[in-house]
Amino acid sequence: MLLHLLNRAPSSSSVHQDVLRAMGEEDELILIEDGVFGAVSAQVQHLPGLEGRLFALREDLESRGLAGRCDARVIIVDMDGFVALTEEAQRTVSWF
Amino acid sequence: MRYALLVLGGPYSHQAAHSALRFAHAAIARGHRVDTVFFYHDGIYNAAHFAAPPQDEPHLVDAWRDLQRTQGTALQVCVAAALRRGLLDAREAERHGKSGASLEPPFELTGLGQLLDIGQTHERLITFAP
Amino acid sequence: MSEIPEAPHGDLLVMLRHAPHGGLWLREALDVALVGAAFGQSVSLLLMGDGVWALLQGQGPGPLGQKGSQSTFEMLEMYDIERLYVDADSLEARGLTRDDLLLPVIEVSTPELSTVLAGHRQIFNF
Repeated sequence: MLLHLLNRAPSSSSVHQDVLRAMGEEDELILIEDGVFGAVSAQVQHLPGLEGRLFALREDLESRGLAGRCDARVIIVDMDGFVALTEEAQRTVSWF
Repeated sequence: MRYALLVLGGPYSHQAAHSALRFAHAAIARGHRVDTVFFYHDGIYNAAHFAAPPQDEPHLVDAWRDLQRTQGTALQVCVAAALRRGLLDAREAERHGKSGASLEPPFELTGLGQLLDIGQTHERLITFAP
Repeated sequence: MSEIPEAPHGDLLVMLRHAPHGGLWLREALDVALVGAAFGQSVSLLLMGDGVWALLQGQGPGPLGQKGSQSTFEMLEMYDIERLYVDADSLEARGLTRDDLLLPVIEVSTPELSTVLAGHRQIFNF
Protein backbone atom coordinates (compact mmCIF):
# COMPACT_ATOMS: atom_id res chain seq x y z
CA MET A 1 0.00 0.00 0.00
CA LEU A 2 1.41 3.36 -1.03
CA LEU A 3 0.85 6.81 0.44
CA HIS A 4 0.68 9.62 -2.10
CA LEU A 5 1.47 13.22 -1.19
CA LEU A 6 -0.13 15.99 -3.23
CA ASN A 7 0.81 19.62 -2.73
CA ARG A 8 -1.05 21.26 -5.63
CA ALA A 9 -4.61 22.51 -5.68
CA PRO A 10 -6.89 20.93 -8.30
CA SER A 11 -7.88 24.46 -9.24
CA SER A 12 -4.37 25.35 -10.35
CA SER A 13 -2.82 22.13 -11.58
CA SER A 14 -4.01 18.96 -13.28
CA VAL A 15 -1.49 16.71 -11.55
CA HIS A 16 -4.25 15.44 -9.25
CA GLN A 17 -5.68 13.61 -12.25
CA ASP A 18 -2.41 11.74 -12.71
CA VAL A 19 -2.29 10.92 -9.00
CA LEU A 20 -5.77 9.43 -9.06
CA ARG A 21 -4.98 7.32 -12.11
CA ALA A 22 -1.81 5.99 -10.54
CA MET A 23 -3.33 5.10 -7.18
CA GLY A 24 -4.01 1.51 -6.27
CA GLU A 25 -7.29 0.48 -4.64
CA GLU A 26 -5.87 0.63 -1.15
CA ASP A 27 -3.48 3.51 -1.63
CA GLU A 28 -4.01 6.65 0.42
CA LEU A 29 -3.69 10.30 -0.52
CA ILE A 30 -2.72 13.12 1.80
CA LEU A 31 -3.14 16.75 0.78
CA ILE A 32 -0.43 19.03 2.09
CA GLU A 33 0.63 22.61 1.45
CA ASP A 34 -1.45 24.09 -1.38
CA GLY A 35 -2.96 20.66 -1.94
CA VAL A 36 -5.32 21.36 0.97
CA PHE A 37 -7.30 23.71 -1.26
CA GLY A 38 -8.61 20.50 -2.80
CA ALA A 39 -10.19 19.58 0.52
CA VAL A 40 -12.91 22.22 0.47
CA SER A 41 -16.37 21.05 -0.46
CA ALA A 42 -16.45 22.87 -3.77
CA GLN A 43 -13.22 21.24 -4.89
CA VAL A 44 -13.19 17.78 -3.36
CA GLN A 45 -15.26 16.55 -6.31
CA HIS A 46 -11.98 16.57 -8.22
CA LEU A 47 -10.71 13.81 -5.91
CA PRO A 48 -13.44 11.19 -6.27
CA GLY A 49 -13.48 7.61 -5.13
CA LEU A 50 -11.19 7.94 -2.12
CA GLU A 51 -13.62 7.33 0.75
CA GLY A 52 -11.66 6.75 3.91
CA ARG A 53 -8.40 7.17 2.03
CA LEU A 54 -8.23 10.94 1.61
CA PHE A 55 -6.43 13.03 4.22
CA ALA A 56 -5.49 16.68 4.68
CA LEU A 57 -2.87 18.20 6.91
CA ARG A 58 -4.43 20.28 9.66
CA GLU A 59 -1.73 22.89 9.98
CA ASP A 60 -1.83 23.66 6.25
CA LEU A 61 -5.63 23.98 6.38
CA GLU A 62 -5.45 26.27 9.39
CA SER A 63 -2.74 28.55 8.08
CA ARG A 64 -4.84 29.05 4.94
CA GLY A 65 -8.04 29.76 6.86
CA LEU A 66 -9.66 26.54 5.67
CA ALA A 67 -10.22 24.76 8.96
CA GLY A 68 -13.96 25.33 8.88
CA ARG A 69 -14.27 24.64 5.17
CA CYS A 70 -12.82 21.16 4.92
CA ASP A 71 -15.26 18.69 3.44
CA ALA A 72 -16.50 15.94 5.74
CA ARG A 73 -15.16 13.30 3.37
CA VAL A 74 -11.60 14.43 4.07
CA ILE A 75 -9.89 13.09 7.18
CA ILE A 76 -7.91 15.83 8.89
CA VAL A 77 -4.63 14.78 10.45
CA ASP A 78 -1.95 16.69 12.24
CA MET A 79 1.75 16.20 11.61
CA ASP A 80 1.86 13.28 14.01
CA GLY A 81 -0.92 11.64 12.02
CA PHE A 82 0.94 12.33 8.78
CA VAL A 83 3.98 10.53 10.17
CA ALA A 84 1.72 7.67 11.23
CA LEU A 85 0.42 7.38 7.67
CA THR A 86 3.97 7.08 6.37
CA GLU A 87 4.65 4.32 8.89
CA GLU A 88 1.73 2.28 7.64
CA ALA A 89 2.50 2.68 3.94
CA GLN A 90 5.35 0.73 2.46
CA ARG A 91 6.43 3.65 0.34
CA THR A 92 5.46 7.26 -0.14
CA VAL A 93 5.20 8.92 -3.56
CA SER A 94 5.22 12.72 -3.80
CA TRP A 95 3.43 14.56 -6.60
CA PHE A 96 3.97 18.21 -7.46
CA MET B 1 12.27 3.57 12.05
CA ARG B 2 15.09 5.30 10.25
CA TYR B 3 13.69 8.05 8.09
CA ALA B 4 15.38 10.01 5.34
CA LEU B 5 14.01 13.10 3.67
CA LEU B 6 14.58 14.25 0.10
CA VAL B 7 14.15 18.00 -0.21
CA LEU B 8 13.70 19.34 -3.73
CA GLY B 9 12.53 22.87 -2.99
CA GLY B 10 14.56 25.88 -1.96
CA PRO B 11 13.88 27.63 1.33
CA TYR B 12 11.13 30.26 1.31
CA SER B 13 10.35 30.06 -2.42
CA HIS B 14 8.17 27.06 -1.73
CA GLN B 15 6.82 25.36 1.33
CA ALA B 16 8.76 22.17 0.70
CA ALA B 17 11.58 22.95 3.11
CA HIS B 18 9.15 24.08 5.81
CA SER B 19 7.09 20.92 5.49
CA ALA B 20 10.20 18.78 5.56
CA LEU B 21 11.39 20.39 8.80
CA ARG B 22 7.96 20.05 10.41
CA PHE B 23 7.80 16.42 9.34
CA ALA B 24 11.28 15.76 10.70
CA HIS B 25 10.36 17.15 14.12
CA ALA B 26 7.12 15.20 14.23
CA ALA B 27 8.84 11.97 13.24
CA ILE B 28 11.40 12.46 15.98
CA ALA B 29 8.66 13.23 18.49
CA ARG B 30 7.09 9.90 17.54
CA GLY B 31 10.32 8.15 18.40
CA HIS B 32 11.78 7.76 14.94
CA ARG B 33 15.22 8.76 13.77
CA VAL B 34 15.65 11.18 10.90
CA ASP B 35 19.14 10.10 9.98
CA THR B 36 19.61 11.83 6.65
CA VAL B 37 18.28 14.74 4.67
CA PHE B 38 19.34 14.80 1.02
CA PHE B 39 19.05 18.09 -0.83
CA TYR B 40 18.61 17.94 -4.63
CA HIS B 41 17.39 20.23 -7.40
CA ASP B 42 16.60 23.63 -5.89
CA GLY B 43 16.62 22.02 -2.45
CA ILE B 44 20.35 22.64 -2.39
CA TYR B 45 19.64 26.26 -1.55
CA ASN B 46 18.74 25.10 1.97
CA ALA B 47 22.50 24.85 2.47
CA ALA B 48 23.23 28.45 1.51
CA HIS B 49 25.76 29.57 4.06
CA PHE B 50 25.04 33.26 3.67
CA ALA B 51 21.26 33.05 3.99
CA ALA B 52 20.09 36.08 5.97
CA PRO B 53 16.29 36.07 6.24
CA PRO B 54 14.48 38.85 8.11
CA GLN B 55 14.64 38.54 11.90
CA ASP B 56 10.93 37.92 12.24
CA GLU B 57 10.92 34.93 9.89
CA PRO B 58 12.07 31.38 10.55
CA HIS B 59 15.71 30.81 9.73
CA LEU B 60 15.49 27.62 7.71
CA VAL B 61 19.20 27.10 7.15
CA ASP B 62 19.77 27.37 10.90
CA ALA B 63 16.88 24.98 11.49
CA TRP B 64 18.64 22.36 9.40
CA ARG B 65 21.88 23.00 11.26
CA ASP B 66 20.03 22.55 14.55
CA LEU B 67 18.66 19.23 13.35
CA GLN B 68 22.17 18.03 12.66
CA ARG B 69 23.40 19.34 15.99
CA THR B 70 20.67 17.84 18.15
CA GLN B 71 19.87 14.64 16.26
CA GLY B 72 23.04 13.93 14.33
CA THR B 73 21.08 14.11 11.09
CA ALA B 74 23.38 14.03 8.05
CA LEU B 75 22.76 16.95 5.71
CA GLN B 76 23.83 15.81 2.26
CA VAL B 77 23.77 18.11 -0.75
CA CYS B 78 24.08 16.79 -4.29
CA VAL B 79 27.35 18.19 -5.56
CA ALA B 80 26.32 18.48 -9.23
CA ALA B 81 23.09 20.26 -8.36
CA ALA B 82 24.91 22.57 -5.97
CA LEU B 83 27.75 23.48 -8.29
CA ARG B 84 25.60 24.46 -11.23
CA ARG B 85 23.55 26.66 -8.90
CA GLY B 86 26.56 28.31 -7.31
CA LEU B 87 26.83 26.60 -3.94
CA LEU B 88 30.42 25.57 -3.40
CA ASP B 89 32.21 24.35 -0.31
CA ALA B 90 35.81 25.39 0.39
CA ARG B 91 37.27 22.53 -1.59
CA GLU B 92 35.13 23.10 -4.67
CA ALA B 93 35.65 26.85 -4.44
CA GLU B 94 39.39 26.33 -4.57
CA ARG B 95 39.07 23.85 -7.42
CA HIS B 96 37.13 26.43 -9.41
CA GLY B 97 39.33 29.34 -8.50
CA LYS B 98 36.71 31.11 -6.40
CA SER B 99 37.40 32.92 -3.16
CA GLY B 100 35.08 32.12 -0.26
CA ALA B 101 32.75 29.21 0.21
CA SER B 102 28.97 29.40 0.00
CA LEU B 103 28.40 26.04 1.63
CA GLU B 104 29.91 24.90 4.89
CA PRO B 105 29.61 22.06 7.38
CA PRO B 106 27.43 20.57 8.70
CA PHE B 107 26.13 20.54 5.11
CA GLU B 108 28.26 18.24 2.98
CA LEU B 109 28.51 17.89 -0.77
CA THR B 110 28.05 14.31 -1.89
CA GLY B 111 27.40 12.42 -5.08
CA LEU B 112 23.94 11.49 -6.26
CA GLY B 113 24.82 7.88 -5.55
CA GLN B 114 24.28 8.68 -1.90
CA LEU B 115 20.60 9.21 -2.62
CA LEU B 116 20.29 5.72 -4.03
CA ASP B 117 22.14 4.40 -1.03
CA ILE B 118 19.77 6.15 1.34
CA GLY B 119 16.85 4.21 -0.09
CA GLN B 120 18.61 1.01 0.91
CA THR B 121 19.69 2.02 4.39
CA HIS B 122 16.61 3.84 5.66
CA GLU B 123 13.15 2.36 6.13
CA ARG B 124 11.33 5.40 4.83
CA LEU B 125 12.28 8.11 2.34
CA ILE B 126 9.85 11.02 2.10
CA THR B 127 10.15 13.61 -0.66
CA PHE B 128 9.17 17.24 -0.20
CA ALA B 129 9.01 19.07 -3.54
CA PRO B 130 8.15 22.60 -4.63
CA MET C 1 -5.86 -5.32 -23.19
CA SER C 2 -2.62 -5.39 -21.30
CA GLU C 3 0.45 -4.09 -23.06
CA ILE C 4 2.72 -5.08 -20.27
CA PRO C 5 4.52 -8.27 -21.35
CA GLU C 6 5.57 -9.29 -17.86
CA ALA C 7 4.78 -8.18 -14.32
CA PRO C 8 6.61 -4.91 -13.81
CA HIS C 9 9.39 -5.27 -11.31
CA GLY C 10 12.66 -3.65 -10.46
CA ASP C 11 14.70 -1.92 -7.86
CA LEU C 12 14.06 1.61 -8.96
CA LEU C 13 11.26 3.38 -10.80
CA VAL C 14 11.90 6.94 -11.88
CA MET C 15 8.74 8.74 -12.97
CA LEU C 16 9.22 11.55 -15.46
CA ARG C 17 6.42 14.09 -15.60
CA HIS C 18 8.20 17.15 -16.93
CA ALA C 19 9.11 18.03 -20.50
CA PRO C 20 12.64 18.86 -21.69
CA HIS C 21 14.10 22.36 -21.81
CA GLY C 22 11.45 24.21 -19.79
CA GLY C 23 13.20 23.31 -16.56
CA LEU C 24 15.77 21.06 -15.02
CA TRP C 25 13.41 18.40 -13.63
CA LEU C 26 13.85 16.01 -16.53
CA ARG C 27 17.64 16.28 -16.55
CA GLU C 28 17.97 15.78 -12.83
CA ALA C 29 15.45 12.93 -12.87
CA LEU C 30 17.41 11.14 -15.57
CA ASP C 31 20.59 11.62 -13.53
CA VAL C 32 18.97 9.67 -10.70
CA ALA C 33 18.02 6.87 -13.09
CA LEU C 34 21.50 6.73 -14.61
CA VAL C 35 23.22 6.70 -11.23
CA GLY C 36 20.90 3.94 -10.09
CA ALA C 37 21.78 1.88 -13.14
CA ALA C 38 25.48 2.60 -12.69
CA PHE C 39 25.15 1.26 -9.16
CA GLY C 40 23.78 -1.99 -10.52
CA GLN C 41 20.13 -1.47 -9.72
CA SER C 42 17.45 -2.54 -12.16
CA VAL C 43 15.88 0.70 -13.28
CA SER C 44 12.62 1.45 -15.06
CA LEU C 45 11.30 4.78 -16.28
CA LEU C 46 7.64 5.74 -16.36
CA LEU C 47 6.75 8.75 -18.49
CA MET C 48 3.49 10.46 -17.59
CA GLY C 49 1.90 13.78 -18.39
CA ASP C 50 4.33 16.15 -20.09
CA GLY C 51 7.10 13.66 -19.41
CA VAL C 52 6.09 11.85 -22.61
CA TRP C 53 7.42 14.79 -24.61
CA ALA C 54 10.86 13.78 -23.39
CA LEU C 55 10.87 10.89 -25.86
CA LEU C 56 9.73 12.82 -28.91
CA GLN C 57 11.97 12.38 -31.93
CA GLY C 58 13.67 15.36 -33.44
CA GLN C 59 14.57 17.31 -30.31
CA GLY C 60 17.62 19.47 -30.25
CA PRO C 61 19.75 21.47 -27.84
CA GLY C 62 18.36 24.67 -26.40
CA PRO C 63 18.89 28.02 -28.12
CA LEU C 64 21.60 28.97 -25.61
CA GLY C 65 23.31 25.66 -26.07
CA GLN C 66 21.58 23.89 -23.19
CA LYS C 67 21.92 20.17 -23.44
CA GLY C 68 18.61 18.53 -24.18
CA SER C 69 17.73 15.03 -23.08
CA GLN C 70 17.72 13.27 -26.42
CA SER C 71 21.33 12.15 -26.13
CA THR C 72 20.73 10.89 -22.61
CA PHE C 73 17.81 8.79 -23.76
CA GLU C 74 19.89 7.38 -26.56
CA MET C 75 22.39 6.25 -23.90
CA LEU C 76 19.87 4.39 -21.80
CA GLU C 77 20.48 1.07 -23.45
CA MET C 78 24.17 1.35 -22.62
CA TYR C 79 23.18 1.72 -18.99
CA ASP C 80 20.91 -1.28 -19.09
CA ILE C 81 17.76 0.77 -18.65
CA GLU C 82 15.44 -1.15 -20.88
CA ARG C 83 12.03 -0.80 -19.40
CA LEU C 84 10.54 2.46 -20.60
CA TYR C 85 6.92 2.63 -19.56
CA VAL C 86 4.75 5.31 -21.09
CA ASP C 87 1.29 6.28 -19.88
CA ALA C 88 -0.96 5.60 -22.87
CA ASP C 89 -3.46 8.32 -21.93
CA SER C 90 -0.72 10.95 -21.80
CA LEU C 91 0.47 9.99 -25.28
CA GLU C 92 -3.01 10.11 -26.73
CA ALA C 93 -3.86 13.44 -25.13
CA ARG C 94 -0.82 14.91 -26.86
CA GLY C 95 -1.57 13.38 -30.25
CA LEU C 96 1.41 11.05 -30.07
CA THR C 97 1.86 7.40 -30.89
CA ARG C 98 4.80 5.12 -30.21
CA ASP C 99 5.99 5.81 -33.77
CA ASP C 100 6.75 9.38 -32.77
CA LEU C 101 9.11 8.29 -30.02
CA LEU C 102 12.86 7.84 -29.95
CA LEU C 103 12.87 4.42 -28.37
CA PRO C 104 10.67 1.36 -28.01
CA VAL C 105 8.30 1.76 -25.10
CA ILE C 106 5.81 -0.29 -23.12
CA GLU C 107 2.48 1.48 -23.15
CA VAL C 108 0.66 1.37 -19.85
CA SER C 109 -3.08 1.72 -19.50
CA THR C 110 -4.55 3.55 -16.52
CA PRO C 111 -5.44 0.41 -14.53
CA GLU C 112 -1.89 -0.83 -15.02
CA LEU C 113 -0.21 2.27 -13.60
CA SER C 114 -0.54 1.20 -9.98
CA THR C 115 0.90 -2.19 -10.91
CA VAL C 116 3.99 -0.53 -12.29
CA LEU C 117 4.43 1.51 -9.11
CA ALA C 118 3.81 -1.49 -6.87
CA GLY C 119 6.39 -3.55 -8.72
CA HIS C 120 9.37 -1.41 -7.82
CA ARG C 121 11.17 -1.24 -4.50
CA GLN C 122 11.92 2.43 -4.69
CA ILE C 123 10.05 5.18 -6.52
CA PHE C 124 11.21 8.69 -7.39
CA ASN C 125 8.64 10.98 -8.94
CA PHE C 126 9.92 14.04 -10.78
